[in-house]
Amino acid sequence: MSTRLQGAPGGAQAPPDAAPNSLTALLFRIVLLAVIDAMAIWIVYRMVGDGYWPLAAVLIFITIGLNIVFLSGRMYPLRYIAPGLALMIIMVLYPILFTVYVSFTNYGQGHLVSKQDAIGQIESQTYLPEDAAVYSWTAYQNPATNAYMLWMTNPDTGESFTVTEGEAPVARSGEAPAQIDDFVQVPQNQLFSKLTEIAAISFGLPPDQVFQVSQTRLGQAAQYESLYTYDAAQDAMLNQQTGELYRNVNGVYASESGQQLSPGFATPVGVNNYQRLFGDPALRSSFLLVFLWTLIFAALSVLFTFALGMFLAIMFDVPEMPLRAPLRSLLLIPYTIPAFVAVPVWVGLLNPQFGIISETMYTLIGWAPPWFSDPFWAKVGVLLVQLWLGFPYMFVVVTGALQTLPKDIYEAADIDGANAWNKFRSMTLPLLLVTVGPLLVASFAFNFNNFTVIDLYARGGPPMTGVSTPVGHTDILATYTYRIAFGSTGRSDYGYASAITMMIFIILFFITQLQFRYTNMLEERGRNV
Amino acid sequence: MRNRLLILLSLLVISAMVLAACGGAATPAAPAEEATVAEATEAPAEEAPAEEEAPAEATEAPAEEAGSDAAAATDGPTLTIWTDSNRAPVLEEIGAAFAEENGVTLDIVQKGFGDLRGDFIVAAPTGEGPDILLGAHDWIGELNASGLLSPIDLGDNADNFAENAVAAFTYPDGNLYGMPLAVENIALIYNTDMVPEAPATFDEVATISQELKDGGAKYGFLRMAGDPYHFYPIQTAFGGYIFGKNDDGSYNAEDLGLNNEGSVASLEWYNSLFEDGLLDVGANIDHDLMTSAFQNGEAAMFIGGPWTLAGIREAGVPYAIANIPSGTEPGRPFLGVQGLMINSFSENQLLAQAFLQNVIATDESMQAFYDTDPRLPAWKPTADSIEDPDLQAFLAAGANADPMPNIPEMNAVWGGWGDAITLIANGTATPQEAADQAQEQVSSAIAGE
Repeated sequence: MSTRLQGAPGGAQAPPDAAPNSLTALLFRIVLLAVIDAMAIWIVYRMVGDGYWPLAAVLIFITIGLNIVFLSGRMYPLRYIAPGLALMIIMVLYPILFTVYVSFTNYGQGHLVSKQDAIGQIESQTYLPEDAAVYSWTAYQNPATNAYMLWMTNPDTGESFTVTEGEAPVARSGEAPAQIDDFVQVPQNQLFSKLTEIAAISFGLPPDQVFQVSQTRLGQAAQYESLYTYDAAQDAMLNQQTGELYRNVNGVYASESGQQLSPGFATPVGVNNYQRLFGDPALRSSFLLVFLWTLIFAALSVLFTFALGMFLAIMFDVPEMPLRAPLRSLLLIPYTIPAFVAVPVWVGLLNPQFGIISETMYTLIGWAPPWFSDPFWAKVGVLLVQLWLGFPYMFVVVTGALQTLPKDIYEAADIDGANAWNKFRSMTLPLLLVTVGPLLVASFAFNFNNFTVIDLYARGGPPMTGVSTPVGHTDILATYTYRIAFGSTGRSDYGYASAITMMIFIILFFITQLQFRYTNMLEERGRNV
Repeated sequence: MRNRLLILLSLLVISAMVLAACGGAATPAAPAEEATVAEATEAPAEEAPAEEEAPAEATEAPAEEAGSDAAAATDGPTLTIWTDSNRAPVLEEIGAAFAEENGVTLDIVQKGFGDLRGDFIVAAPTGEGPDILLGAHDWIGELNASGLLSPIDLGDNADNFAENAVAAFTYPDGNLYGMPLAVENIALIYNTDMVPEAPATFDEVATISQELKDGGAKYGFLRMAGDPYHFYPIQTAFGGYIFGKNDDGSYNAEDLGLNNEGSVASLEWYNSLFEDGLLDVGANIDHDLMTSAFQNGEAAMFIGGPWTLAGIREAGVPYAIANIPSGTEPGRPFLGVQGLMINSFSENQLLAQAFLQNVIATDESMQAFYDTDPRLPAWKPTADSIEDPDLQAFLAAGANADPMPNIPEMNAVWGGWGDAITLIANGTATPQEAADQAQEQVSSAIAGE
């Protein structure tokens, strides 16, 4: 058999009984898998090096799975969906599971690094005992071994000595010479390039005669002592200078008096984030108001954009309509302008003092709505902007759906003497809803989290009065929780934000379920039309 | 069937390993010969930095080739600096000379100023961050809370830096976390055609506004709605404050002054502008509208920073810059300071410090920074030599400025206190109500939970 492969991984085009026997196909598959495996090994190696164990494990799992699927003949049917499944695990399932995991940790500002890194950082802090001398140093290097030697001078007493790694200091006198034994003084123009190496070396003989160059000031060295040592048995840091013990409290080492060592580290904290979420006075005081407005905003956005889009689509579906093609294209323009541009432009147009819309209204009727400072009009304004942004989508969708409606039932309706409204009410609308129903659900879910428009319009404002956390009248759940998690508490708290995300996810899940049930109902009704 | 599967699998593993070895990631377990072969044939670029990151081994491993010393001199350590586009050309220029003389490679990475902080927070803990970061002083609270910064030693140059700029980069733990480059503050900018002489007090500001308004002007004094940053000079002029200060000048997050007498008085003054019709309730003025109103001659006075000057000059409006007017005391603007910080996860701690002390903190470098991007220098010798009268006026207005708080608690202020000022501009709360609400919101946000 000389079945030619057409490029897809695993030659998915070949029939089940033919492919496994073809030598070219087999070779091709092996080479492709080898490349994938090599890449996976390399990425996993890097990830393990950086400490990303869970992601590495998932990658290993996927890679092994792919190998088995593509090498075993019995798994042949799986080959069609394996690449898709693999991508879904990496791109969809893993992020969701990771969010769930993060919501049970304190990952966020102050707790960004791993425990190992935090301990390393704290242990690297040094201090200078009180009566310790500070020396000035000159570096020497052995050109043969690259080993370093320091010429140290005590500026107070004028005494000098040299130290190398692992050996006791040797007393010297006079000025620093150009060469000492095999060691040559490091010229000034090479010093900078060797600083990192020199700074990493402990010179002198442990344990009592260890000298290190200062990490902060060039040319200084001393017998620095570690400020903190880690006690693994108690999981605590001991301050060598004061003898104070810092215990691990939820991912940060803190003393009895509450003093904390920076940095803290990310650690699981159980349901703390969820407890905080439900106990948060901010959520208790205004959550319901915000939630209600979120529902209203999402529902009205869908309703208005759909109504306008459908109206225009039906209008332009009439063949007698003049200039159909150019007008249709013009109507699509709002859809092509990014919200990041369109919303600020609208905010400018609506401005009560300088905006052209408000100015025109003043001239015509002597009054313009306070688009941004009045709770009601701010809501109207944001809905209008969303209507402008969203109707072209509905227009396109409905225009497409209209083409699929059967023409014969309209003829039948004509014969029965139905008028235009009756035809729309009893035929067009129900049939349309069958097709576009799922899209309306999607649109609702999108507007439920329509962060961009709300934030750009008035940043959730105008502010409410009598609330214990900053919240605005046009804030929806997404903008509101964003502010709680990142804006107002003074820290970027990914753990808490993940917990909030899980809550929004659950709410949306139930709403979407309800809507799908409703759409199914429509579909059944559609069949009966 | 099973046998074939086994053979295939072993084949795969072998080929994968060969490929992985060629890919340049020689695992520590890999035999030495294999690694050398891979290096000799491919000499992958990624290998180079890995070698330098093991300085301790380098001293022990005897280098047999005679040429190794020369090689070490040319490929020394790489110092990575993250900067915004304004400073990148200067650093490139300074860096090129430095790199050539000292055998250190300088890697200048240019990012948007707004991205620097976020990218640094993500990259630094993983070891992918820069050695030196350009940033604003009010970032250090957040960066320091995660232990991402190393204390900086100004060495013998400490006296050459403006005291308030150094104070701004000093954290309550007493350490300095940045070498200041430039400072910025806001001042009163006024149209000299409409206002011949700068008002000395905020009462005069109101009176002049009334006269201008009676004379047909659209606005006298104009300010944007909300925004605690631009409101702070007014707040302090009436004796208000955001955070009280400890004896050593650092901010005390426990002492929140949003509804003290002075802060309420400042809101009352602001409110009186709306009551007297000098500003329009609910006008939703933002920074752009404020500056363009001034450029069009529709507003005679506003409080703004040096960044508004370019547009004003272009518009050709006659302008001058004056100190913040007084209320019950002289108003103090916020001082913002930009400078260079050192990543605590950097391998090149001493090199980075030495670079800042010996290369950046010099008259030539600081002058170069000023020449490329004229901002108020934090380096006194350069600041003293400034001839631009506008910048001199901004320097004078900032002489009594308070460093913008660098403690993480400041993040909580923007929302609640900004809302309070907006409520006044919207006419939906009395000054006392707005201030009380802000005080409650901010203090409960600081308390967490």
